[in-house]
Amino acid sequence: MAALPRRIIKETQRLMQEPVPGISAVPSETNARYFHVIVTGPEDSPFEGGLFKLELFLPEDYPMSAPKVRFITKIYHPNIDRLGRICLDILKDKWSPALQIRTVLLSIQALLSAPNPDDPLANDVAELWKVNESEAIRNAKEWTRRYAMDN
Amino acid sequence: MEQFESLLTCCVCLDRYRNPKLLPCQHSFCMEPCMDGLVDYVRRQVKCPECRAEHRIPYQGVQGFPTNVTLQRFLELHANIAGELPDPTAGQVMERCNVCSEKAYCAPCAHCDKKVCEDCKSAHMEVLRREISRINNQIRRGLNRLQDILGVVERNTTNLQTNCGAVAGEVDEIHKRLAKALKDRTDFLRNEVDRYLATELRNLTNLKDNLELELSNIQSNCDLADKYMNDDVEWEDTELVDTKEIFLKTVEFLRNFDYEAGDYNRRVRFIMTHDPNQLVMHVASYGELNITQPNAYCTGNPQTQGLTRSKSDHRLATQFRTQEEAKGWQENDEPVLGGRKFGERRPPPPEKPTRDYGATDDYSGYESEHRPTRSRFRSRFVKSHLDNDSDSEQTTRAAKAEQHQKEKEKVTDTEDATRGPLSGIFRLSDCPRVMQRILDVDSGKKKEKKEPPPPPKPVQPTPQPRRPPPAQRQQSEDDEITRLKRQNKAGAAASSQEPERAPVRAAEEERSAVNRKPPTPAREASSDGESDESVGSLQRNQRKNVPAPQKPVTPVRRPSATETPAPHRPAARAPSTESSASTESSGSAVKHTGNERTAPAPATNGTAGGAQRVQSRFVGSQRPTPAPAPAEPAHEDSDTSSEEETDSSEESDEEPVTQRKPESQAMARSDIGPLLARSTNARNDAVENKTKETPTAQSRYRTRQTSQTEEEPASRYSAASSFSNRYGSKPREEEPASSLDDETKYPTARSRYLALKERRNRLARSKSSHTGFGVGDDDDQDDPVSPTTASPSAYLAARYGSGTGGTELSRSRSSHALKSRESSPERPPPGEKDGAALSSWARYLKNKYGSRGKDRDPSSTTSSTSRRLSLGLPLRSANELASSDDDSKNAAGSPISPTAATAAVAGFAAAGSSPRSQYMQKRRLQFSVGSRGSEPGCFTWPRGIAVGPDNTMVVADSSNHRVQVFDSNGIFVKEFGQYGSGEGEFDCLAGVAVNRIGQYIIADRYNHRIQVFDPQGRFLRAFGSQGTGDGKFNYPWGITTDALGFIYVCDKENHRVQVFQSDGTFVGKFGSFGSKLGQLEHPHYIAVSSTNRVLVSDSNNHRIQVFDVNGRVLSSFGEEGSEDGQFKFPRGVAVDDQGYIVVADSGNNRIQIFHPDGNFLRAFGSWGSGDGEFKGLEGIAVMSGGNIIVCDRENHRVQVF
Repeated sequence: MAALPRRIIKETQRLMQEPVPGISAVPSETNARYFHVIVTGPEDSPFEGGLFKLELFLPEDYPMSAPKVRFITKIYHPNIDRLGRICLDILKDKWSPALQIRTVLLSIQALLSAPNPDDPLANDVAELWKVNESEAIRNAKEWTRRYAMDN
Repeated sequence: MEQFESLLTCCVCLDRYRNPKLLPCQHSFCMEPCMDGLVDYVRRQVKCPECRAEHRIPYQGVQGFPTNVTLQRFLELHANIAGELPDPTAGQVMERCNVCSEKAYCAPCAHCDKKVCEDCKSAHMEVLRREISRINNQIRRGLNRLQDILGVVERNTTNLQTNCGAVAGEVDEIHKRLAKALKDRTDFLRNEVDRYLATELRNLTNLKDNLELELSNIQSNCDLADKYMNDDVEWEDTELVDTKEIFLKTVEFLRNFDYEAGDYNRRVRFIMTHDPNQLVMHVASYGELNITQPNAYCTGNPQTQGLTRSKSDHRLATQFRTQEEAKGWQENDEPVLGGRKFGERRPPPPEKPTRDYGATDDYSGYESEHRPTRSRFRSRFVKSHLDNDSDSEQTTRAAKAEQHQKEKEKVTDTEDATRGPLSGIFRLSDCPRVMQRILDVDSGKKKEKKEPPPPPKPVQPTPQPRRPPPAQRQQSEDDEITRLKRQNKAGAAASSQEPERAPVRAAEEERSAVNRKPPTPAREASSDGESDESVGSLQRNQRKNVPAPQKPVTPVRRPSATETPAPHRPAARAPSTESSASTESSGSAVKHTGNERTAPAPATNGTAGGAQRVQSRFVGSQRPTPAPAPAEPAHEDSDTSSEEETDSSEESDEEPVTQRKPESQAMARSDIGPLLARSTNARNDAVENKTKETPTAQSRYRTRQTSQTEEEPASRYSAASSFSNRYGSKPREEEPASSLDDETKYPTARSRYLALKERRNRLARSKSSHTGFGVGDDDDQDDPVSPTTASPSAYLAARYGSGTGGTELSRSRSSHALKSRESSPERPPPGEKDGAALSSWARYLKNKYGSRGKDRDPSSTTSSTSRRLSLGLPLRSANELASSDDDSKNAAGSPISPTAATAAVAGFAAAGSSPRSQYMQKRRLQFSVGSRGSEPGCFTWPRGIAVGPDNTMVVADSSNHRVQVFDSNGIFVKEFGQYGSGEGEFDCLAGVAVNRIGQYIIADRYNHRIQVFDPQGRFLRAFGSQGTGDGKFNYPWGITTDALGFIYVCDKENHRVQVFQSDGTFVGKFGSFGSKLGQLEHPHYIAVSSTNRVLVSDSNNHRIQVFDVNGRVLSSFGEEGSEDGQFKFPRGVAVDDQGYIVVADSGNNRIQIFHPDGNFLRAFGSWGSGDGEFKGLEGIAVMSGGNIIVCDRENHRVQVF
């Protein structure tokens, strides 16, 4: 069984000591590579005030490969499908070992405040966001209220 | 600062950069873990994580990228500034663990011989543990069988006895019967014969009488008849008729009488009815014993019945390994553990030796490649016995080593634990390592229970819990300390093994942190004294007699003779220490007038200390257990308050002592006791005591400084008493009656015990450590002397007493020196020319001598004088030196800070005035210089040492290939030289000498030449090349000059000494290989006395030989051993201006001082890294003030006593 690489240990420690504001990442007791993440909806976004649960998993060859992140909480976002999968470049081809968990989570938070419907996960949310942004935002707020606020 | 840190952090591994490589996009990443992961092998590209630029990989791979040296320098700088430990894994390449296929720092696993990462290793060991416990259960079950057999055996014993008793009875019975019968018969026959004889005889006698009577009658009748039967006599007719009748009767009788001779001729004959021969034969074999095979004995074979054999891979591997080992086995049957000692590691596969460690060189023809590797790689538990220090220059050992096919040394005997006579299985609890571990575990538990008495100092966190074995092995050098006599003894290899790197224990005393591990001196009782290192023991296979450090030196020995100390110890700590205290020389009582109470306590402390130290040493090698914690703070403090020694001991507080007492009781266990005794000398304890006391000593130190004056009288008194004390009670072995005599009480008994042990086994190293000064070896090396320079002032003042008396004494000393000098001119070479070379040499000498005599007077610089003195050269004329020079010299030479210079100087002079007492006092480290490294002030394998002008210390920093010069206080002055073979370049230089005019003469060992530099360090000339002819060298080692400027070189591998003029002209040589008088074997160092006696450390013959300047042997003293006056691979030799000879007894890790005539005077020192402890003694020299400076090779430092 491969031991936990030092980097992961270091990152975890740093996350505990210096949490990113608005983001909480806690490793699971049973599996040090599995993190329970909670991201607060960024200000000035339709997700404001919501607490979104995510799960983050560090694969075997991390940091050479990107962590796997998924939204647990339902969220209305053009780049996040109904299963919670995230369309983010750094999680795919633009991953670099210089990135860390914190940067990934920050990027996800940034993605929340700046949706990108031109690169959708092929869902209708993106369609609506392009066609009728205000309604999409309204939907997003609604979903936030329904799913992301103390439920 | 944090930002600096972050700049030095690789963004991939989030760790400090390791070997940073620079990409063309100017981003840097660590080479091995990080870059490798970024490589896209398919397209041979790397994508920069920071900027995502893609770069082609160079041909050689990731190494081909340029190294970011700027970053490296920053890293170094950062490390230096922050005083951080160097990366313990530095120099290691990450490898793929064979088990989990992860890249990690791997270590070979003793079981499966693969390199595995730590996790897998621990998992592995877990498996092993479970296996062991499982097998243990099986063994237990099978044990019943054994017990049954035992019962059967007992029963059979009784049966046998009764049986034989019965049979014996029967035999006796028969015997009685036969005897009786024979006797009876004999008597009967005899009686018969006698009776027959008697009767017959009677008859015959009767007959005879009768016949005689008849005869006489008849005769008378006839006579009568003849006479009277004639006509003259008137006879009556009746008478006539009667007469006629009678005559007729007579005739008839005569006619009828017939002697039946036959009746009386019978002979008795004895007839045996049975043939006598046969009868005898029958009797002779009249019975026999019939021994039938008893069926009660259990048959063999049941071996496997009770114990199922598991086929786990562990077992298989073990089996396989033992089979492998057995293949090469020549002598015994397959020994348990394959001939290794318990806990030893097998030697690593041979690797190319590197020069960096100065350990080995595979110069062709000199050594098999086995030796270098073996010697170089030592597990931390193994102590090398081999004189590996001499870098594969020994062929004898190679020859021995070659015998074995494998690198493992097969030894007939195993370590000194009790073995089962039938199975050869060891008793684990006797193995020193096991005992140590058990002790550690228990003490650790105990420590947790009771709070360790912490000194009021913050405990420094023990850095670096465990050094990865590979690093250690690479770093540890074989200690040449002990030579194995018997391959069996593997001494605690530990001792010299790991040169405890300062970083490992940051501020701790090396003593505690030492990982001695001992290259295990081959089995023998630890190398060096302890660490006997047989050839084979070089390998990690050597069993470690004693748990790595510390004890490594001592092999486990059964306390045979000296029972008394051992039982005392375990029985009652306090009383034992008391008794041992009482046994301590009376001087201690004298000395510590007011501190009697402390006497027993420190002794107890000693026990505790010793135990703790033992433990800590061992532990240090393993892990930073809490055990050494108490010792550590003590050690730290000892740094600062090292000078406390004598007086501090006197004033030792009760508190730490009492606190330590219970610990000592906990520590010294009965079974460990003897072991500890064996492994460590009392001095360790003494040291421990001191160090224990030092925590509180710091405060005392301060007070001491203030109340220095008042202490002086006391100390003077104590010094004086210690003088007498020393005189009176010459310690055994090297048990010095240190200033802390009281502390050696406990050790005394031990030392006695030890001495006995030592005789039996060769312990290369005696563990007596000194009262260390706690020199800041671990501290920053830049100015290692500073902590101590300040401190010794008070100490020295105290030690050496008043100043006024000193000056007078110093003057007297110089006059004494003058006298000796006067005598010396008469001693110039007697000029007997033995050979052409010598004759020319002698003639030359005379010429030179004459000419030089004139030269002497003019140059009367203090420096040259001191140098001459230090070199043991005859003093110059009286006018020159006189007392003023001595004094000034002393002033210059005193290693004390100016604060107490005067007092110290005076004291110094006082000390110098009486060399014997001075030497008797020796053994307290004044200060030490240097640590491992290549910066100025650091050494890597310092070897030769000499005293330069103005009492400067000139050190041959061998593996840094340079010469460093320090002033008499240990402050770095200059250095010169670099690696190479050109002019002014060295290659593992060994010896240095300074001639009259301040020129440095260097034995450039691997370049096989001698180089001469001017006093500023500029190259002047070089001469010599490799070879065996005149003027050619094979590993020239020690070097010295005499008063006339002749250069004497120990041509080590040519086993001779060559003499040259100062310009390099060959003059003569003497010595040849052998062990007779006048022959040399691997002469290492050389010194010339002021009386033109050349002393050569005849290392492999374990003696010092004295030649005259012509090369004729005058005398030799010393033999192999560890007693006083015995050596084990003596190395450095020096002589002071009065002729006292100082020898660096490297195999015994001690310095010995002899009278000029060769009689033993004093010895001190032990193995270790603490103050007054050595690992690998090399060159030695005597400064003009009487200070002895010695190179402590494996500790990479120079110690000054």
